[in-house]
Amino acid sequence: MESESADRALLERKVRRAFQVLILQRGRNPGVKGWELKRYLGRDFRTILEVLGEDVAPMGLEVFEVKGADATDDSSRFLLRFKEAPTVSEAEGAGIRIDDLAVLAATIAFVNSKQARVARREVEQFLREKFPKWRVEYSLDRYVKRGYLDVDDRAMVHIGWRTRAEVDEKTLMTLILSRAQEASKK
Amino acid sequence: MDIKQKILLLRERLPEWKFLDELLVDSEAMLELAQIVKLQDEWLKHRASSLYIDPLLIQLKLKLLPKEALSEAFIKSWHPTAQVDQISPRGLEKAFVYWRDLQPMAERFKDEFGSYGTRPGLVDYDDLVNLGVFTQKQFETTLTELDDELLRKSNGEWVDYRDFLGNESYESKVLRAYLLAFLISEGRATLKTEPLTGKIWVRPLAEKSKALPKSVAVSITGDS
Repeated sequence: MESESADRALLERKVRRAFQVLILQRGRNPGVKGWELKRYLGRDFRTILEVLGEDVAPMGLEVFEVKGADATDDSSRFLLRFKEAPTVSEAEGAGIRIDDLAVLAATIAFVNSKQARVARREVEQFLREKFPKWRVEYSLDRYVKRGYLDVDDRAMVHIGWRTRAEVDEKTLMTLILSRAQEASKK
Repeated sequence: MDIKQKILLLRERLPEWKFLDELLVDSEAMLELAQIVKLQDEWLKHRASSLYIDPLLIQLKLKLLPKEALSEAFIKSWHPTAQVDQISPRGLEKAFVYWRDLQPMAERFKDEFGSYGTRPGLVDYDDLVNLGVFTQKQFETTLTELDDELLRKSNGEWVDYRDFLGNESYESKVLRAYLLAFLISEGRATLKTEPLTGKIWVRPLAEKSKALPKSVAVSITGDS
């Protein structure tokens, strides 16, 4: 009985620690790598994260895993994110510009349609048909800096880790296709 | 590309190769074939995923959609990360070291802008001559002309200081104010201020004043 309550206390302490580690930004990017969580929480960190996931669910949050390049536990990045997407007015209220988001949405869709990598020049050329040149360049640079997009040394645009973490790409593509159908019907 | 046929060909020819160079070329060909298989694999996986949409179709759809609909689609598929920005003791230390080692403004921009960033100071007649704003002769001539103008306009009475400076241009006003200050310092004119109205009056003096000089700060703005 005593050992059971000690285990429970230890688990609660580890869950609290996990929440603190995930919520406080360390370095430039949000989230914590698997190897760091192992160091903070021990080998059974996934179990701790599962419990934390249940605890934060009533607050509208979830623990999300972004797989790393080699798909190992160590390279995965774990973060807390909104369980539900915000409403348009909530996003606008947070000071996010509609034009900027439109550039990002179009870029993600365009890059995904081109096997997830496309020359930056080609992206810019495509976006310039819809947005002013200055906004295209400014927004692309900004989203590369914030991790939503990635540009390699051969100037090829890829989907950034942050898009993988925050954006449900399938939903985005479906919405774009369905909205376009509505727009063409009008 | 028929990968299988290429590999069979390599195997068929393998016993014929005797030199290391030939074998190296063969292994290079194998590596290139493996790269092709990898790319084909990626392409197949992407096509099989639900993210695959014909590029032309998606371009057309993106062109059709208004910006608002695009951003709305993004927002509806967006799950922002939740995080708290805070300064760590290490960050605080870095900020302290940065602030401690930060050079004063005047030093920081010295190389880029020369004397830009130096504090406001006094410019005397010698400085102006050294800077090439005046030659000694020009300065004295201009000063005498201004003295004559003051005598003429005032007729020995007080005249409004700002009216006398004129409204030609900011540069001209500053120049006239500077020369007038020189006349006043020399005791060839005098100045009085009305603190309640803010008016400033100036009057030429027939004889050089022997009273103790007092400093008066007058601001010259672009619109006054």
